[in-house]
Amino acid sequence: MNLTPEQETLGRRNFLKALAGTPALAALGVAAATRGPVKGGPIKVAWLGVGGQGRALLTRADHDFVTVKALCDINPTSLQKADEVLAKKNQPPATHYADWKDMLAKEDIEGVVMAPPLWMHADIACGLMEAGKHVLCEKMMAWDVASCERMTACAKKTGKVLEIGYQRFYNPVYQAAYEGIVKAGQLGEMYHARLVWHRNGNWRRKGEPPSPDYDPSRWGYPDFEHLLNWRLYWKYSQGLMAELASHQVNIANWFFGAAPEAVQGSGGIYRFKDGREVQDHVYAIFDYPGGRTATFSSIESNAFENYYEMYMGTKGTLILRAETEAFFFPEGDAGHATAVEVAAKTPGGAALDASESKPATQSSTAVGPTPTAGGESAERGIASRNEISRWAAAIRTGAPLLCGPERAIHSAKACIVANEALKTNQRLKV
Amino acid sequence: MKDNPEALTSPQQVALVLLRTLIGWHFLYEGFFKLWRPAWTRDGTMLGPWSSAGYLRAANGPFADVFHRLAASSWLPTIDHVVAVGLVLVGLSLILGLFTQAGCAGALLLLTMFYLAQIPTRGLHETGSEGAYLFVNKNLIEAAAVFAVFAFRTGRIAGLDRLRRGPATQRPRAMEAA
Repeated sequence: MNLTPEQETLGRRNFLKALAGTPALAALGVAAATRGPVKGGPIKVAWLGVGGQGRALLTRADHDFVTVKALCDINPTSLQKADEVLAKKNQPPATHYADWKDMLAKEDIEGVVMAPPLWMHADIACGLMEAGKHVLCEKMMAWDVASCERMTACAKKTGKVLEIGYQRFYNPVYQAAYEGIVKAGQLGEMYHARLVWHRNGNWRRKGEPPSPDYDPSRWGYPDFEHLLNWRLYWKYSQGLMAELASHQVNIANWFFGAAPEAVQGSGGIYRFKDGREVQDHVYAIFDYPGGRTATFSSIESNAFENYYEMYMGTKGTLILRAETEAFFFPEGDAGHATAVEVAAKTPGGAALDASESKPATQSSTAVGPTPTAGGESAERGIASRNEISRWAAAIRTGAPLLCGPERAIHSAKACIVANEALKTNQRLKV
Repeated sequence: MKDNPEALTSPQQVALVLLRTLIGWHFLYEGFFKLWRPAWTRDGTMLGPWSSAGYLRAANGPFADVFHRLAASSWLPTIDHVVAVGLVLVGLSLILGLFTQAGCAGALLLLTMFYLAQIPTRGLHETGSEGAYLFVNKNLIEAAAVFAVFAFRTGRIAGLDRLRRGPATQRPRAMEAA
């Protein structure tokens, strides 16, 4: 799915034209308060797991909404880098911790933004909520279905706000696409979605341990390499399905208004036979109720198509590309266009390239249309910033979350079962 | 000033006390909201701590320099606090009719400061304003309304001042107290 410049212009204009006059534009704004303000300042938070993704979120956070009191990570190098992020944002330094339980005992915090390796999500998130803390947990929700259910039950039992880091729900482009195109019925009957996340590069990271005698074994990692590349090992990770597919499947669930009933898959370690356990090429077919199907592919050998979601309906096609741009092509009527600017183009965005879902391209040619100085589109930065701010608002005012654990668990289930289907080459019920 | 021989009628008294009460509510909520912040709107927008700095920095007119210097001074936190508390006290005074004359004087002082900081001399629609003003804006009109409330000694008509001093022996008379 690579569009010509003419098609891009046309599709973008069609999308904006289709939105015109719908409540979608209004949905991008903020409704007026009707019941008076709620007293309180920014949420006092800790950042737990300040590796690449944790620091990306820290960079994007709006400190009118959250004040960072503590940083927690088992890797001292990551803590130092997180300090630098705070310093660049003119934020006061935060106290360092290696053990989150130690942090809980000593810090007066209200919530935690956490981005540790997947296998730790449920234990930490539940521990935090049971200690009375609100949690914003990076995606995927948890390593297995039972853990996802444990987190959901824990949030319900404790009454704490639990959000899972699916930033697309907080991306104005996605909100506009859903409200103005999908919900408005402009796609007609929709039977197929194509989910693509193609990269050309080695997922394996290179790095030096913080000190020659650094021993991460007390944290469950036999050596520093397993800590650094936890995404490549099944004990800690659910591979590409968790890190990439779960984002796109979650949106497919949202746009279809349903969750997959069954999934079949194929894939393997075809290119990088370097001792990793998770596949470097995965293909999955998700069957939704009503004869609707979403296909997902993620390859690490070609980045020509980059990443996008394409929704194909009887009346039109909606393409959401790289979390940045939206295109709409009415069926049989691709010739009309109007120009309205929709996507927020405010400054900001991350200065880090550490996000797991950033395209791992070998060349530097795959760049979004509104790049920031850090090489990332402004929209992605805005989405994460909105996500953190809305989570903070939910804590203070009870404002609703846009994703929430109930949606996140459906995406996680589908992707966890997809991995089983991939391993066994079967069609499995979700 | 000599009493006006015409005693105030009941509707006139009601009108004056209603005017005082509404002005009092305006002051009270403005002050309360400033003290209440930082706060959040119900839909999740963060409202940071209130400061008069923006208003002072935007000052124009003949006294602009004075207000600009205040905005940059180390007194700013004190000014913020005094203004917010002052608004609340004035609001309570006017609503309750307690120390009403002092409350009116405080209201006049605050409104005068607000007016002098931003005198509408351009006659154009200003950002954040719903209309175009030349010399006369809502601060000035509210100040004139407070002056009327002050002049008629409305605490004697209704309010806790009556308990403090006892009711006036005679019905309030127009312009009695000015």
